[in-house]
Amino acid sequence: MNKQSITQYYRNHRKAIVTATSGLLYGGGWSLGYLTSFEMASAAILVLATVVGGYDIAKTAYHEVTNRTLGIKTLVTLAAIGAIVIGEYWEAAAVVFLFSLGSYLEGRTMRKTRTALQELLEMTPDTATVRRDGTLQKVSARDVEEGEVVVVKPGGKIPVDGTVVDGESAVNQAPVTGESAPVHKADSDEVYAGTVNQEGALEIRTTGAGSDTTLERIIRRVEEAQEAQSPTESLIDRFAKYYTPAVIALAIGAYAVTQNAILSLTLLVIGCPGALVIGPPVSIVSAIGNAARSGVLMKGGEHLERAGKIDLVAFDKTGTLTKGETTVSGIEGFGVAAADVLSLAATAEKKSEHHLADAIVDMARERQTAATDGGATVAQADDTDVGRRSVPDPDDFDVVAGKGVIAHADGQEVVVGNRALLDDRDVDVPDRVADYVREREGRGETVVHVVRDGDIIGAIAMRDELREAAPGVVAALQDAGIETVMLTGDNERTAAAVAEEVGIDEYRAELLPEDKQSVIEGYQADGHVVAMVGDGINDAPSLATADVGIAMGAAGTDTAIETADMALMADDLERIPYAVKLSKATRWNVLENVGLAVLTVTVLLAGVLTSYVTLASGMLVHEASVLLVILNGMRLLRY
Amino acid sequence: MSDTTQFRVLDFDCPTCASTVERALSNVDGVQHVEVHYATGRVEIEYDDSVTDPDAFAETIENQGYTPQPA
Repeated sequence: MNKQSITQYYRNHRKAIVTATSGLLYGGGWSLGYLTSFEMASAAILVLATVVGGYDIAKTAYHEVTNRTLGIKTLVTLAAIGAIVIGEYWEAAAVVFLFSLGSYLEGRTMRKTRTALQELLEMTPDTATVRRDGTLQKVSARDVEEGEVVVVKPGGKIPVDGTVVDGESAVNQAPVTGESAPVHKADSDEVYAGTVNQEGALEIRTTGAGSDTTLERIIRRVEEAQEAQSPTESLIDRFAKYYTPAVIALAIGAYAVTQNAILSLTLLVIGCPGALVIGPPVSIVSAIGNAARSGVLMKGGEHLERAGKIDLVAFDKTGTLTKGETTVSGIEGFGVAAADVLSLAATAEKKSEHHLADAIVDMARERQTAATDGGATVAQADDTDVGRRSVPDPDDFDVVAGKGVIAHADGQEVVVGNRALLDDRDVDVPDRVADYVREREGRGETVVHVVRDGDIIGAIAMRDELREAAPGVVAALQDAGIETVMLTGDNERTAAAVAEEVGIDEYRAELLPEDKQSVIEGYQADGHVVAMVGDGINDAPSLATADVGIAMGAAGTDTAIETADMALMADDLERIPYAVKLSKATRWNVLENVGLAVLTVTVLLAGVLTSYVTLASGMLVHEASVLLVILNGMRLLRY
Repeated sequence: MSDTTQFRVLDFDCPTCASTVERALSNVDGVQHVEVHYATGRVEIEYDDSVTDPDAFAETIENQGYTPQPA
């Protein structure tokens, strides 16, 4: 080793070296005093141990004092100097050595918590292969411009956010969404920086690079979340502000009364509320970091603490418990051909943005394409625009919120809607129509009636498949003692059928979007702590009303992340029991840490006042309690 | 002109240490706003770049006994 590398090594491991040296001197000085009668030599070595171990502590203490903060390093320095002044060399060396060892170990373990997120950032490659001036060039990933095309080989990491313009592949999105299964990506699909291209080559048009990628944004948010103080933390901080000065006053008072210097110095050592102030942040940072790696973004300690009290989870049905891909499952004509019912309904619904309308228009388009396919010329009607154009426009069109649409086309009035809309308009519903509707709704389907000039000519049944994971997720929450509720705009019968299929405890049907909010308020008024799971866009008001709003599929949609307290990056319902259980575990973990800290301080105080605890043993217990709460908090990293 | 820089300090060993560093940094000439977070070790400094520069901040952090890393 040359001189330079020795200096470098010393700089990198200064704390460890200082602690070890002070420890060795302390051990040597103590043995010398215990085994021999060289008391002067022993004292000298112990003072040396104190100086070696205490130099850095005293230096920081000096900064604490000049910056007018009162920290443990000031207290330790005072205690060590005090002990030397009264001739307790052994105590002085022990306090300094134990404190150095403790803070060295604390720094090391905290480093693990602090770097947990950086692993995520390291997922993004430094370079990108860009198509520039007709050739492929390797450039720094940060320098890729928006709109440039990046080529990613199979097995390569994707360096930018963008949309696929060529190629097809399976992409592992775990770093961003936490999903373990790769996702199929083809033309015009979105991909994220930091995800791994597993199969085929992809060409990607860049939409964001450098610090403007989804992954970077997520990590920034996670850090903000970790830094935001939870209510417990701010409470403790306020307490700590008075605690330390109070203990110092107590130490001075105790000396004035008892003239016992050791007692007052020991009070100083335990005067820093160590474990109490360190415990809660470590628990929360670990939990938020763990969640981030599993694709769950928690907004902060406050939200996490509230989530730990959840006893009721309300799910929006469409797109949350179901896949949100409504398709037509049956068309019935009453005196009219089914095909005519469909095309008339499609025209009426064409301008509507409701998901039921989309299903009807899509179906009509598909039927037409199929019909054209049979002929000699094959229509290239795959494109949505072309397909939508093949359905004629209505002359005019009105939405009746929560009920349906009223439109005019070819001189006819067409009403497509639910029973409520028909009743409003005094449309007579024959028994066979009512029977058909009842039968379909009993299977969990949604049915709309098609009315032409006041007469029912048909009905269209639609289905939104349940997510495979939904029943398991509901069961897992129930096992954890949490009530589950489904909120839906569907009618009673459809809702009951779906609720039974999922196994959910309760359902609320026929809700307008604003009703969902008041249902949640109702549960809160009954004393429940309510979590609401939704897509974060349509459900934004109810997510905001709930104690904890959980948005699904939030990667890429900033609005969802803004409104929610927790956001699931992927559409992965199975993260919900995990997130709820992690929150509960965190809440317990914080309580354990606070409990342990309070217990330690109480025992130490009692011990000092009854003279059972001296400087060295007080410091040992103090440092042990700090390490214990850090290690306990870090368990949440592996939850 | 006002500029912002970040450091990462992984070896904070107590919450007070972080607030001491925060105070020390805010006493550096030209510093407008400082945030030091114990939990994440993140240090964010807003400063007037005609008066001071990030090297001065790194030195201040080192003087307090901690190791700044570029973030």
